[in-house]
Amino acid sequence: MPDLPKKKVGIVSCSGEELAEGTVTRLAALRVLEQLRPGDTVTICLPLFLAGGEGDRAFARFYPTIAVDGCELRCAARATEMYSSKPAASIMVRDVVMENGLAQPEGRRRLNAVGLQAVEATARQMAATVDVLLGKHWDRKSGSFVEPGTVLPASGDGKETEKDATCSCGSEIPIQKVTINGQIVNLVALPLIFQQFHEGGKPPTPDTIREIMDTVKIYNPIPPDENEAYATVLSHEYEIYCEKEEAAT
Amino acid sequence: MIKKIASPKIVIVPCSGIGKTYGAVSREAAYIITEDLRPEAAQLVALSMLVLGDESTRAVVATNAAITIDGCKLACASKMVKESGGRVAMEVDVLDVYRRNKQFKPQGIGELNEGGLQLAKALADEVAATIDTLAIKKHGGQDA
Repeated sequence: MPDLPKKKVGIVSCSGEELAEGTVTRLAALRVLEQLRPGDTVTICLPLFLAGGEGDRAFARFYPTIAVDGCELRCAARATEMYSSKPAASIMVRDVVMENGLAQPEGRRRLNAVGLQAVEATARQMAATVDVLLGKHWDRKSGSFVEPGTVLPASGDGKETEKDATCSCGSEIPIQKVTINGQIVNLVALPLIFQQFHEGGKPPTPDTIREIMDTVKIYNPIPPDENEAYATVLSHEYEIYCEKEEAAT
Repeated sequence: MIKKIASPKIVIVPCSGIGKTYGAVSREAAYIITEDLRPEAAQLVALSMLVLGDESTRAVVATNAAITIDGCKLACASKMVKESGGRVAMEVDVLDVYRRNKQFKPQGIGELNEGGLQLAKALADEVAATIDTLAIKKHGGQDA
């Protein structure tokens, strides 16, 4: 199976506007994305699981994801599981506050000093969790780890280099539209799959198409009675892809 | 945690956008409306609760007119309110407000710069005016 894009960890924060803890999740997520673990983390706006497309809903299957919530409702963790896949880890600000002996954060609009301490503590825990998740083998087919059960650390430390947060107006998982039996179908990750096969020097032969089909099935449901139709279309699309790539070089 | 509204209000739903400055503007504007400009008439609703499908939040949205504030063209707030059975009385796109107020250039996500705060205030003023119009209509004033 091709090694699809560099493994990163997804961050989904509840960003709850009604509570100070919601603001803590938002600022802690930004601290991890921009400063503590830039390059290793990506994010998505929580409502995109419903308001977005197939690529957005594949987010937590594609990336091992940390859900960070402000309160016991755990909107981020539960919604991520409902609409995408079970988060690999779940952190709640109120737990972090208690574990660190902090007072109640206040100021949903402008956090007080305790709130800012909670941001730092939550961000450190998230960064440590990122490190743990990056060290484990993520199976994108099942959206889970091959060897589950690792206990995640409660605190962490890391080099700080400033970087812009990855744009969250979409999952950044590319999709490609193809027409199967007259129906337009969005295939998650197909451009990346083609890219990896082409870079691996695989010509559009029947053997390659079978491998491509196996990989496409990891991210997309393919009805058994449409296997042949998909294979025909993918063969055609991959030939076009290879021709374009070779013309460009 | 959302509380049941005793008397009908306008619910304000910002987009929760975390990756762009316009999402931060939408959040700040929602606070200005619900805390500073029209605290008696407007109530903030957390979008994450709608995403989760929380029943009490859906009920609030379903029984009160909503004003949504979105930071990008994907319009998550507006879509979620509609999918939750709500009536969107006004859809605000932060970028449109910026086009009308280009002197306020927003920067920053975790912390907005002065331009971002001013843009949020300009947006909040527009929404407050709409809230007043809706209140007049509701009380039998100059109905359209």
